[in-house]
Amino acid sequence: MKLEVGYIDIKGIRFGDYNAVEDGILIVNPEPLLEPVLEDPLIKSAHFEIATPGESIRITPVKDVIEPRVKVEGGGGVFPGMVSKVDTVGSGKTHVLRGMAVVTAGPIVGFQEGIIDMTGLGAEYTPFSKLHNLVLVMEPVENFKQHEYEAAARLAGLRTAAAIGELAKELVPDETVVYETPSVAESFKEEWKDLPRVGYVMMLQSQGLLHDTYVYGVDAKRTLSTMISATEVMDGAIVSGNCVSACDKNTTYHHQNNPVIHDLLAVHGKLINFVGTIITNENVYLDDKIRSSDWTAKMANYLSLDAAIITQEGFGNPDTDLIMNCTKLEKQGIKTVIITDEYAGQDGKSQSLADADELANAVVTGGNANEVVVLPSLDRVIGTLDYVDIVAGGHDGSLRPDGSIEAELQIIIGSTNEMGFNRMSAR
Amino acid sequence: MSKFKVVHYINQFFGQVGGEEMAHIPAEKRMGPAGPGLAFSKQFGDEAEIVATIVCGDSWFNENLELATKTVLDMVKEESPDLFIAGPAFNAGRYGVACGTICDAVKKELGIPVLTGMYIENPGADMFRTEVLIVSTANSAAGMRKAVPVMAKLALKLVKGERIGASVEEGYIPDGVRRNFFDKKRGSTRALEMLLKKIAGKPFETEYPMPTFDRVPPMPAIVDMTKANIAIVTSGGIVPKGNPDRIESSSASKYGSYNIEGVDDLTGETYETAHGGHDPVYANEDADRVIPVDVLRQYEKEGKIGKLHDWYYSTVGNGTAVASAKKYAAEIAEKLHNYDVDAVVLTST
Amino acid sequence: MVNFWRLTLGGEQETLHANKYQIVTNNPMVADVFGERCRVVFLEQGSDRDVIETVRDLVHQHYRVLTAPLAGSVKPWETPYRSVMVSTSKGSAIDETSLELVEFALMVIRQSKERLETTKPSIDSDFQTIDLSLIESALPSVEAIGRI
Repeated sequence: MKLEVGYIDIKGIRFGDYNAVEDGILIVNPEPLLEPVLEDPLIKSAHFEIATPGESIRITPVKDVIEPRVKVEGGGGVFPGMVSKVDTVGSGKTHVLRGMAVVTAGPIVGFQEGIIDMTGLGAEYTPFSKLHNLVLVMEPVENFKQHEYEAAARLAGLRTAAAIGELAKELVPDETVVYETPSVAESFKEEWKDLPRVGYVMMLQSQGLLHDTYVYGVDAKRTLSTMISATEVMDGAIVSGNCVSACDKNTTYHHQNNPVIHDLLAVHGKLINFVGTIITNENVYLDDKIRSSDWTAKMANYLSLDAAIITQEGFGNPDTDLIMNCTKLEKQGIKTVIITDEYAGQDGKSQSLADADELANAVVTGGNANEVVVLPSLDRVIGTLDYVDIVAGGHDGSLRPDGSIEAELQIIIGSTNEMGFNRMSAR
Repeated sequence: MSKFKVVHYINQFFGQVGGEEMAHIPAEKRMGPAGPGLAFSKQFGDEAEIVATIVCGDSWFNENLELATKTVLDMVKEESPDLFIAGPAFNAGRYGVACGTICDAVKKELGIPVLTGMYIENPGADMFRTEVLIVSTANSAAGMRKAVPVMAKLALKLVKGERIGASVEEGYIPDGVRRNFFDKKRGSTRALEMLLKKIAGKPFETEYPMPTFDRVPPMPAIVDMTKANIAIVTSGGIVPKGNPDRIESSSASKYGSYNIEGVDDLTGETYETAHGGHDPVYANEDADRVIPVDVLRQYEKEGKIGKLHDWYYSTVGNGTAVASAKKYAAEIAEKLHNYDVDAVVLTST
Repeated sequence: MVNFWRLTLGGEQETLHANKYQIVTNNPMVADVFGERCRVVFLEQGSDRDVIETVRDLVHQHYRVLTAPLAGSVKPWETPYRSVMVSTSKGSAIDETSLELVEFALMVIRQSKERLETTKPSIDSDFQTIDLSLIESALPSVEAIGRI
């Protein structure tokens, strides 16, 4: 598949009377954007706020981060199966409003996590402190059903990002990059014969409420391991319904900007032959795990892979899938590197993973999520601090009287990302 | 501003007393820096100074551990230092063990920061890496020029109470504590580079070494128990009354082989437990509770088993190093082979 | 009326309808929802550790674990609730995979710090809901299988 991506750099966001992008500035008129959001009976109220890098702002609790994109040419629309029809995406032309994101905020359950600090120590641990964020703060009606409200909030975020993405359709990109993924036949061409055949195994969170991922709108729980093109992922084919934990859940933004895909494509045809991407799930039912990991190994074999990078999402249960995928590939002679994060305790001394195997001898880590940090008090809160004490990584008294927060890195969105998005590591 | 006071420990070779032939010299204290201490002093600048150097023979230290540790500790106490450094020992095993031992003792007794350095394969590294920070050095003194600045920098951080970064940042051997730091490249890039090395068969370093679970595949089951020669092996520390071999109650440095030919039953008069990890009352009353000699002997008489082996092998499992346990097991296994033992009843507490 | 059975101290099994799975849980919401459907071993005042240890005891009796004991990214030290699906049929020997999973889960729980005490009852209900959702996610899988 071939996709031409046009990046339009956003340098600022401001409110105005209309919706447009002018000279790199996104002008937002909230009313027309909020209309579809408020149509949902489960959403009691919603409003937008703007957070700029460097501002003394704390956004919490964060549900998802989504990059506005739009299909300019080629089949389908962004977020197929969710906001657009299910038609296949990944070819033609797509425009991206780079340097900004739509951030959905607001509670879904009583315990919450997910902080994005735009300045200070906390800002160093999340990539989203460097983006211009348009925050959609939502409030549910009374007595809502969590599953349904989660779906409503998810869709509201995606719709908003798609609507803003539309504003980029006619714009001239600041930068254009062409991404191309080979067919299986092409991958065997003479020119690439001496390059190692490398695949990417992407594990998707799929355990239930606040733990789900959707592929073309399909709940990953009910899927068999399969292949997807790198370019489809860039068009939002995979979106997040995962909210736990803030530090290692893959936001939709992470999926859209998958760093493994980008790094592998960058050296494709030169250092490696990036044959393809396999997606697989992380179900709780053991036989599903066995079936999925067997299927992943089977596909890797079909593709005659020499090596693969495997990324996971989440804690505990997924560690089992990670080790299964890794060992099954290794036993077929396919060399692997796995990317994970750690829960080594606040003192860093506990066993970091919930599963292990000596075959997993090449590991990249996103860091120890239990490390305690003190986030300074910031001037403005978008959302609410009500839940900070009860969050994962927080504790009674986590929120100090002066507004500073003493909590684990677990609380910060994307801080220990397991796709390898960040530079943070641990030894 | 006053300088931090440092005491430095080195061996007979670096103290320029002599080589292997002088390894027996007891510890002696000299004022000021000596040997590599001079290079340290340069690195410390006006932040710290070595007020005393303790020179000690490697053999003397290792063969008189208790006395040597106490002697050196007293010498260190006299100086009331802010910081204690030892070595670097590179790949010299006894020197490395001495450095680790004395650093550990100083840290625990005096509560001051300590630091040493050695090659990763030095036995002292494995023994002390979780107790004491050990800078990773080359395997010979040729690595002195590189090791000293790294050690000095880390030592100053320690004595100033500054935050210690991850092992790769500061240059010490991973000490079992995971610490976060910001690498130069993002994780996906690091993964790709690691994968390329792995594909090419080049050496690479994993960011997280998997814990090793020593798996021993079990042998096939005994087909005919009535013909089997059964032996007893235990880490429960059952020994003849009086503990003739002086097996330690913890961190056992040996195991014993005890003859039970003609012994039908273990009693409180004839046997006892050496194990220090639990209340010994019931084991001392009747050691059969830990090793079932009485029952096995009965089975032997009844023909349920072929034979109870004439010897049983015992050590104390309490706090005993895995490496030691492996060593004893290997030796015991050889004996069992020589006696054509078919199966072992292995007990612990 | 909540319909569930407790595992007696003596460990007797009470044979009910021939269902393929049973659930060990300390979550009253799970006990409530599943009570009519299958055997539920409900440890009413039990901790998550009690749940895993009960599962371990069942594994020692040759039952198989059917779902990941550490399901969910809400950590053991955050949520007090844990539910695990276990087979109703016994194997001829201890299932190694089940044993490994249970032992690893216990290790994680043992080295976990003290649970954060939450004072808001609505949050407790949310933890119950998440735990229920995790175990429910296994239903389509377990009910599709012809034989375990």
